[in-house]
Order: sequence, then C-alpha cells, then structure tokens
Amino acid sequence: MTVAATFLGGAKSRLLPASIPLRFFAAAALFQCLAWLMLLLGADELQGFQGGLGRPLAAVHLLTLGVLVMTAIGAAFQLLPVATVQPLRRLWPARAVFWLAVPAIVALTYGMSEGEPGALAAGAAGIALAMLVFAAAIADNLRRARSLPLVAAHGWAALAVVSAVLLLGVLLAVNSWANLLPDQASAALAHFILAAYGFMGLLALGFSYVLVPMFAMSPAPPRLPGWIGFWLALAGFAFGTAGALLAVDLLLAAAAVLGLGAAGCHLASMAWVWKRRLRKRMGLSFVLVRVAWLVLPAGLLLGLALALGLPVPGGAALFGFLVLVGWLLTFLMGILQRILPFLASMHAGGSGGRPARVSELTPGLPLKLHAGCHFAAMAVIPAGIVAGNAALLRLGAVAGLASALAFCWFVLVVMLRLRAPRTR
Amino acid sequence: MTAEAPPVWNSADGTHIDVRGLPPPEPMVAVIALIERPETGDIIIVHLEREPVFLFPELDERGWSYEPIPGDPGEFRLRLTRGA
Repeated sequence: MTVAATFLGGAKSRLLPASIPLRFFAAAALFQCLAWLMLLLGADELQGFQGGLGRPLAAVHLLTLGVLVMTAIGAAFQLLPVATVQPLRRLWPARAVFWLAVPAIVALTYGMSEGEPGALAAGAAGIALAMLVFAAAIADNLRRARSLPLVAAHGWAALAVVSAVLLLGVLLAVNSWANLLPDQASAALAHFILAAYGFMGLLALGFSYVLVPMFAMSPAPPRLPGWIGFWLALAGFAFGTAGALLAVDLLLAAAAVLGLGAAGCHLASMAWVWKRRLRKRMGLSFVLVRVAWLVLPAGLLLGLALALGLPVPGGAALFGFLVLVGWLLTFLMGILQRILPFLASMHAGGSGGRPARVSELTPGLPLKLHAGCHFAAMAVIPAGIVAGNAALLRLGAVAGLASALAFCWFVLVVMLRLRAPRTR
Repeated sequence: MTAEAPPVWNSADGTHIDVRGLPPPEPMVAVIALIERPETGDIIIVHLEREPVFLFPELDERGWSYEPIPGDPGEFRLRLTRGA
C-alpha cells in the first residue's frame, strides 16, 4: 500500500461509516414530513391546545424526537469525536440507538395521536432506552475529551438534563392513563423547558462553537462570553424547571431573564465569529441560521411575557412554535444542509476517482424551495395561532409539508451523488 | 482568549505553517487563510498533530491537492499544492 493510500485510509478511519450519520439525517428528513402532516391533520385541535393527547401533541413529538433529536444524535456521533479528538470506541451503540429510536418514535406518536396507552408506553420505553444508550456512548467520549472544554461542558450538561427529560416524559406517558401526577400541565411545562432549552438547546449552542467558526472560516470566539452564557443557561434551566413544577410564575420569569442573558452571550460570540469570517458568501443555510438566531431571544421574550401574565392570544402554542420551529428546527435545517454535503464529500470519491467537491454535492433548487416554504410556514402558522384561524393553520402546515418534502429531495440528491462514480 | 496566529515561514520546499496546539477549527481556518493570501506560493507544508479530516473538502473546493510527507515523531505533515 502506498503512503498516500495509507494516509487516506487513516483519515477516513477517523470518520464514522457514512451510513451511520446519514441514516439519522435521512430519518429526520422523513419525520419532518410526518410532523407537518400530523399538524395538518390536527390543525382544528391546535387552537387552544394546552397539552394532552391528540394530534398536536403527536406532531410536536414527531418534530422534537423525530427531527430535532435524530439530527442531534447523528451530528453528535459524527462530530463529537472530531471536536474531542477521541474516536468512538464502538459503532454498535450508534446503530442500536437508531433501531431502538425509530420504531419507538412511531409507536409513541401513534399512541399520542390515537390515545393508545399500549403504543404510548412501548414508545416511551423504547425512546428512554435509546437515549440511555446514546448518553452512555457520548459520555464515554466526553470523558476522554482532550480539547474544547466549552463544547464538552455543553455536552455533559445536555446528558445530565436528558435523564430528567426522560423521567418526566415517562411519567407523563404513564399519567395519560394512570393519573399519577397531581398537576400534569406543570410537569409538561418542565418537560418542555428541559427538553427544548436544556437538551436540544445545549447541544445546539455547544456545537455552534465548533461548527459555525468551521463553516464561516473564522477563528474560535473568545471563551469568556461562552462560559458566562453556559452558566446563565444552567441557572435558567434550574429556575424554569422549579417554576414549572411549583407553578411559580416569578421563577419562570427569572428563568426567561437568565435565558435572555445566556442567549445574549451566545449571540455575541456568534456575531464575533460572523464579523471575522473568511468565507463571505455563506449561502442559504446561514440565512436559516441567522433567522434562528433572531427567533431565539424572541421566544424567550414571549416566555417572559407569558410568565408575567401579559395577555398574548394563543400564547402557549405560539411560544412552543417559536422555540421548536422558529429557533431549533430553522437552526438545525440550516446546519444540516451544510453538514450533509460536507460529510458526503469526505466519503465520496475514493476508488481512484477524484474527490467530490461540496458544491457539486449541494443541489440548489430543493434548498431554495425548502427555505421559501419553511419561511412561509413560519409566517402563516403564528398568524393562524394568534387569530385562532384553523384555515391559516392548515395553510401553514401545507407550506411546512412542502418544505419538508423539498428537504427530503435534497437529502436524496446528496445520497445519490455520494454513490455516483467520479472520474478525472 | 483565542489562540495566537500560528508561525509561518518560507524555506526552499515551500511556505510552512505550524498549526500544532491549536484547538478545532483553528488549524483549518489558519491554513485556508494562508492559501487565500495573494502572496502565498503554490506549495505549502502544514505541520499538524493529526489528519485534518475537515480540511480536505475545503482544499478540494479550492483546487488544492494534498499528500502526506514524512515529519517529526508525533507530527502529521502535509504538502499542499495549488491546482495540481
């Protein structure tokens, strides 16, 4: 074997097999279609939705577990070893997480939609098991981390939070038929705060400190604002969870203020990166990312207004939409459309063919369609929530479904180009 | 604080840059910043701690080729060639 062949083999061995991250990303793309479809079917129930079983709850979990968590898991398995400079010891946990999580998400959301306790319980148990395997694999990697302490700290905190999310989630699932909890709404709010801001938020913020400078071609931002933001965020989760469980609005308001401080620190770091970037043309993906950065504080401000008792029509549903779709989904779709061709280019080629360029692996039309339809959904659905208009909600869900289908098209094209032979 | 600028020097075999000790993604950013400078020549020797996995797509995109060359113990040394 030549030196060059050894080198390329060594470089690629630091990556997971392409099938591992890509299966999570492809599943996320498909679950996004199902989430919007479920919202379309449940649009009439969304008005005045306050939690409880039904299609809106199923749509929320198709989005959170199916899209956000699957994307985060795929990204974590692929990118964390690079960030920590430590390879994953074993690949089977990644495959096990996928095969545990996918049927569990289907069962859980079917149970939520149709009010089937058996499916709900089986799904909740499967997801809990999948997340525990994921947490164990990631903890093993973080424990050996030699680099990027801020990213590792976000990872550790996310893993700590996930146990509370799972506990509350399983309790809520059991409570749907056993009535164990004295106040289901309080537990559901705590579950939401910890899952959305705690688990997903920490992963999104933590990975941003590596991914955004990498894609923008910028030096890493100063560490101090990142650390201040991290501790403010942890304090916010503590106040928010306590406020939700104890039903104390003042604690929830304090949590929102702490969250705004954390978001401010994070956005200051991202602005620092943006100002110093070498890559001037950041493309459509970073239009999505920048919109998500704007929605992050907007969601927290709405949360603060709700905690202070200000009248906001459809306030709870609007808050959930801003956090889950406006911030997290928009951010992850922006990042994913950069990661996918980037990863594919590292796995493509070989066998004597020339390497595939990222630009060759990025189809433009599906991404333009996705962004247009996604932004349309982001505009129409809040209007439908505020106006209490089911027709607007349905229209927004159709736009969201179109965006999800366009994203599936994009994923499919990247995968087909990944498999295509190349010649010089 | 962010890391200081990595050392860059010229020798007979090309322009050298030593990015060892920098956290991700600083090595990649430093190399790309160097190759985008107008005064940079056609050959760059990069001194790294490990294979720069995420650098390769960026080099491909910019039309640079790369190959490993012998380095010091514990070092991964890479020769980049413009337009090859």
